[in-house]
Amino acid sequence: MGYSRKLAWRNYLVEGLLILSSLLIILPLLIMIFGSFMTSTEVLKFSLRLPDKWMFSNYAEVFREGGLGRAFLNGMLITGISSILNILTSSAAAFILVRRETKLANFLYMFFFMGLIAPMSTITTIRVVQWMGFYGSITSVIFIYASLNAAFSVFLYSGFIRSIPKALDEVAFLEGANTFDVFFKIVTPLIIPVNATVAIMVFMSVWNDITIPLYFLTDSSDWTMPLSVYNFYGKYSRDWNLIFADLVLTSLPVFILYLFCQKYIVSGLTAGAVKG
Amino acid sequence: MKISKKLYSYYLIWPALLIYSIFFVLPALIGLFYSFTDWRLDRETIKFIGWDNFERIFTDKTLLLAMKNTCIFAVVTVLGKNLLGIALAVGLNMKLKSKNFLRAIFYSPSILSVLVISIVFTPMLRSEGTINRIFDAVGLHSLSQAWLTNPSIVIWTVAAVSIWQHTGFQMAIYLAGLQSISKDYYEAATIDGAGSWRSFVSITLPLLLPAININLMLTLIGGLKVFSEVFVLTGGGPGNASQVVGTIILRSFGEGSWGLGTAVNTLLFAAVTIIAIPLLIFMRRKEVSE
Repeated sequence: MGYSRKLAWRNYLVEGLLILSSLLIILPLLIMIFGSFMTSTEVLKFSLRLPDKWMFSNYAEVFREGGLGRAFLNGMLITGISSILNILTSSAAAFILVRRETKLANFLYMFFFMGLIAPMSTITTIRVVQWMGFYGSITSVIFIYASLNAAFSVFLYSGFIRSIPKALDEVAFLEGANTFDVFFKIVTPLIIPVNATVAIMVFMSVWNDITIPLYFLTDSSDWTMPLSVYNFYGKYSRDWNLIFADLVLTSLPVFILYLFCQKYIVSGLTAGAVKG
Repeated sequence: MKISKKLYSYYLIWPALLIYSIFFVLPALIGLFYSFTDWRLDRETIKFIGWDNFERIFTDKTLLLAMKNTCIFAVVTVLGKNLLGIALAVGLNMKLKSKNFLRAIFYSPSILSVLVISIVFTPMLRSEGTINRIFDAVGLHSLSQAWLTNPSIVIWTVAAVSIWQHTGFQMAIYLAGLQSISKDYYEAATIDGAGSWRSFVSITLPLLLPAININLMLTLIGGLKVFSEVFVLTGGGPGNASQVVGTIILRSFGEGSWGLGTAVNTLLFAAVTIIAIPLLIFMRRKEVSE
């Protein structure tokens, strides 16, 4: 009796402390969200308060001035295609690497794994893309993102595919199926949840990134949302209400994705990081 | 019955292997070669110059400072994100009424772009900004700082912003780890008279090792590769006070001194590999022996 009362008391204390510290996280985000609805003079205090008058027009203005429609479509195109390319190629590669179990397969697995650790060589990547003749294009950025995420995806897929019994493949092979059939008709349907996890992880990291567009997208009409925001931030450094509106708009796609796909993020982290 | 491994044809590996090799591995190998040359934008010919680039890196004050800052950032963020991440995860693994809500709040900044968070913090970190005003309001004037313009603390400020944003991600991995620990262990420990601290040290920490392992790797590698936070918050300034390896590479690229830039990159590559691989092997071994 005394013990459980002590426990309850401890829980209240922990809960109070955690709620207090969560304010540290919420406050800056609310300053951004409320600030995006203020006038340009009101926002300059950067303190937490509701706007005197809700300026929804800030959003319309940002959308016009910041060229965000174009940047949104560019971002969707780059993020969408590089995620799909990454999912298709990495899951197929992981399938063979896991099933082969030869020295070469082990070596190739480590070869991919190195990509999780090693930093990208930006300057020479630009050279390679120049030699291939598509430096500055959206295509080059799509391939670079697919290659940057290959290591992480192969790592995650391998963990899952290892848990799929080989017996399923055997039956199919006996009935005359080839590798291609087995992968697409048997393995692919079983790894749909992993595909979701990889898709979300890749989508978030690609959508939020500014480094690759900064180096590789030479034409501002190809820019993605965060890079357009960065440019806007430099140009409109006085109008913090517009800058905040711009930041909220950039964050909206990942925020919506997060709301709908929470369970895949958590299950992905559990399977990939903790069990893998 | 055993099926032949040959049935799993290697051609399914080729697309991933080609993309990864051409756009990631090949540039790394080429970079290794160019590190030893005087490759420049404004020069037609490329000459092999041995270790000159590396000698310059170790004698140039700015480049040395950039490496020191990268190390400070990496160490501070590894400690901050993991200690706070474990604390949050342990707290939010208890039976609290608001735990789902709080988990979502703490996780939320890590889904946003570093760019977004860095821009939001820029006005708040000014001398007359929100953070100093809060310190003044509660009577802690002495804590007020020029967070982004004082050369001796600026890299710590950038690290703090990164900890603020990403600790929630580490927390999520630790929570996943905690939930895989059976409650039976704690019950047995309580019956044996172990207090909460004792249970934490003898049960939680050892069984959390896989999660600790992956989090240390992720935060360390991410810390050494830091770029966007510094680029947006300070641009490497004031002066060169917050330059890191990532911003130096951008600067060498802009100046056209590509040989030097690739040498800096090669050094980063070597540093990350030398630190990460033994850590990885050591941690794996510890996990197995548990």
